[in-house]
Amino acid sequence: MNSDVQQINRFFSKKRFRLTLIIVILGMAYVGASIGLGFQTHSLLNVQDGIAWLIQNFIPNEASKGYWNEILQQLFRTFLVAVAATTCAAIVSLFLAIVGAKTLTPAITVSWVIRAFSSLLRNIPIVAWAMILLFSFKQNDLTGFLALFFMTLGFLTRAFMETIEDFGTEKVQALQATGATYLQVIAQGLLPEIAVALMSWILYMIENNVRDATLVGLLTGTGIGFIFNLYFKSLRYGAAGLVVLSVIILVVSVELISNLIGRLLS
Amino acid sequence: MIKPENQVSIPTRIPAGPRLSIPLRFRDRRRVTILLTLIVLAYVTLMTLPTMIPNHFKLGAALVSFTENIKIMFLQPHLANTTFVTLLGALGQSILLAFLTTLIGSAIAFFFALASTRRLAPTYLVLGIQSFMAVIRAIPTVLWVLIYSVVFGLGANAAVVGITFHSVAYLTKVYADSMDELSPGIIETMQAMGLKKSAIIRQAIIPYLIPSYLSWTFIRFEINFADAIAVGAAAGAGGIGYQLFMSSSFYFNFHEVGVMVYMILAFALVLEIISYRLRSVTHQ
Amino acid sequence: MLTVNHLTKSYDGEKMSLTDVSFSVRPGEVTVIIGPSGAGKTTILRSINQLIRDDDGEILFDDTDMRQLNRRQLRQARCRIGMIFQNYNLIEPLTAIENVLHGCLGTKSNLAGIFSMYRNREKEEALQLLQKVGLGEFAYQQCRNLSGGQKQRVGIARALMQRPKIILCDEPIASLDPKSTVTVMDILRDLAVNDGISVLINLHQVDIARKYADHVIGINNGQVVFDNRAKLLSDVAIANIYQKNVNTEGSLVHEF
Ligand SMILES: Nc1ncnc2c1ncn2[C@@H]1O[C@H](COP(=O)(O)OP(=O)(O)O)[C@@H](O)[C@H]1O
Ligand SMILES: [Mg+2]
Repeated sequence: MNSDVQQINRFFSKKRFRLTLIIVILGMAYVGASIGLGFQTHSLLNVQDGIAWLIQNFIPNEASKGYWNEILQQLFRTFLVAVAATTCAAIVSLFLAIVGAKTLTPAITVSWVIRAFSSLLRNIPIVAWAMILLFSFKQNDLTGFLALFFMTLGFLTRAFMETIEDFGTEKVQALQATGATYLQVIAQGLLPEIAVALMSWILYMIENNVRDATLVGLLTGTGIGFIFNLYFKSLRYGAAGLVVLSVIILVVSVELISNLIGRLLS
Repeated sequence: MIKPENQVSIPTRIPAGPRLSIPLRFRDRRRVTILLTLIVLAYVTLMTLPTMIPNHFKLGAALVSFTENIKIMFLQPHLANTTFVTLLGALGQSILLAFLTTLIGSAIAFFFALASTRRLAPTYLVLGIQSFMAVIRAIPTVLWVLIYSVVFGLGANAAVVGITFHSVAYLTKVYADSMDELSPGIIETMQAMGLKKSAIIRQAIIPYLIPSYLSWTFIRFEINFADAIAVGAAAGAGGIGYQLFMSSSFYFNFHEVGVMVYMILAFALVLEIISYRLRSVTHQ
Repeated sequence: MLTVNHLTKSYDGEKMSLTDVSFSVRPGEVTVIIGPSGAGKTTILRSINQLIRDDDGEILFDDTDMRQLNRRQLRQARCRIGMIFQNYNLIEPLTAIENVLHGCLGTKSNLAGIFSMYRNREKEEALQLLQKVGLGEFAYQQCRNLSGGQKQRVGIARALMQRPKIILCDEPIASLDPKSTVTVMDILRDLAVNDGISVLINLHQVDIARKYADHVIGINNGQVVFDNRAKLLSDVAIANIYQKNVNTEGSLVHEF
């Protein structure tokens, strides 16, 4: 009996030791990373300073009301660019994903090439995209559009490919066994089945791109990101606060709409 | 285009248990929703695309210059204004920033998630916390960093706090969603045995949560790495992003950008391998 | 031991799920509740340990009314009521022994719950219980790797770890194969006979009820239509319990 208890004790000690080890390692990594970066932990306790500052300075005042028109206009442009980039990327991605999915691909090398290509697009930082494009396309909406387009293309190709592969080889083969042609299999068997999944990916990307458009705008000097930077750097905090508020409203509404569509699709 | 009724019937093994058949009404609702959404998206896109190209814009010249730069970047990468060691250090900074913010974010978000999962928390708390997090999430990371650089001064503190903000908001939602997926029966069972809340969290929720906790945290690490680069460039917060920004918009040296992009891609490849391994471990 | 008086429950305020249900359970006996799907068996069982709040009535467990307890008292009362489920509700990523040990956490401190601190006596008891249900060598197996019958036996060991005065079983064998059914029912019967625990089981298989029950309670449409010794359960009585004419609405509820 006693040896049984010892065995249970050993079991629990081992679990506890593993947990302690993980916590110690993470703790040391935390300290190491903080020192490496020059980060001071107590600033986490001063988070409320930022919020307080935000509330004090970013309250839109009388003067900032005059900026509403410009902000709304830029916000709307940014939204349009984000939607257009996502939609265009989705169309190209769908094509790439169908050709590249292991279950449908004409040749496995094609699949690998598309996989590598999408991974490349995804992992090139959006900063690099924005900068290269800015150099060639200059300061306009097209630059932001293309930067978002390339990133989204990388993401959606991968996501669509996985969705199609989840659909399963057997189902595709079963469809082909009924004598359907390649295109029939895709148009009548595959697409209706995965339409809901594809749709939710597209909606997710739109949501994401509205946010990223702000960043791209900041880097390329276009859209809502640009005017935020402009107001912020020139200490017109009231107007900058208005920009933040408008971005919140836009992103939250996009999220709500996409949730609504998601619920209608379920 | 999408006609669920017309689909060829697929012979599959009949799964055990009751078969779910969606009433026609719902299938129609789906189809209409998808069609309407697609129409709206197509309309917006078609209306926007032409207005995006400014007047007197030489699209051809721009495209040529773009491909030229891509070629320079990928085929002739070399350094001019900085050294490889400097860049390696900068990359390390970005990785540390991503690591630290993910670590802090995942720890804080875990508690927020406990307080906002439908399995444990009252509805008002769930709604309150989740709406608050939705608002925080709506503000792009770079704006948080910019705001905190005014309060804390430009530097690591602002970068860490700013990126952590967004991480907490994101992770709270995905952790809470993972907890919501837990069957209510499990928690009820523990309650039926008279367990306290702390014991239920530790003994029932955490064991089930671990796999999704790990994979979401890892996904967030990848996002934070991208954010660390973006923030370095857009808010001047240092790291490889800042170097990238300097080379491309100050020196206009795309050879150098190429080197940095290759370095970032190499790290991304490492992450992809880790994520592959992680998936095969958590999926057993 | 356990006496239920005039229990009434309606989920939506319109349709009555339980109407004036009264019965009592004696120690050392197997009491089986039978009835068609949707009759209210689960509702009765979950009212006893107040997993659902009923509307009216009295549930006397050791002479205290479960319905009158505050949260803390209810938690303490639940520590002595074991419960077994159709789908086992084990913590699947954990091992069998850890699941069994959960049974004694109700009476322990927050700290013990968080750090899995158990006394040697408790560990020994947990292992003995696993051996008692024939799973001694599976103690360190993750529960997700066990078969259905084995999981249910871990569930029983976990309930026994609570040192229960009564064990409530909601369709304990509905997901099991015939062989595991016999094993599990034999164990439950043994608990009543040899350990003096009251065992209250929801079933919808009449043959099993006849074979294992001392006392049978028949429920139809939320009302007690039979309450007598098992040997008096005649074919006429069964037909009466399972008749469908009382209220056609709601009696076609899918079990899962
Ligand atoms: N959570 C619930 N909400 C609303 N009605 C319920 C719920 N659970 C059970 N019911 C109703 O209560 C009645 C009794 O159900 P139940 O106790 O589960 O029956 P049994 O376990 O005998 O199959 C059924 O008519 C069912 O429709
Ligand atoms: Mg039931």
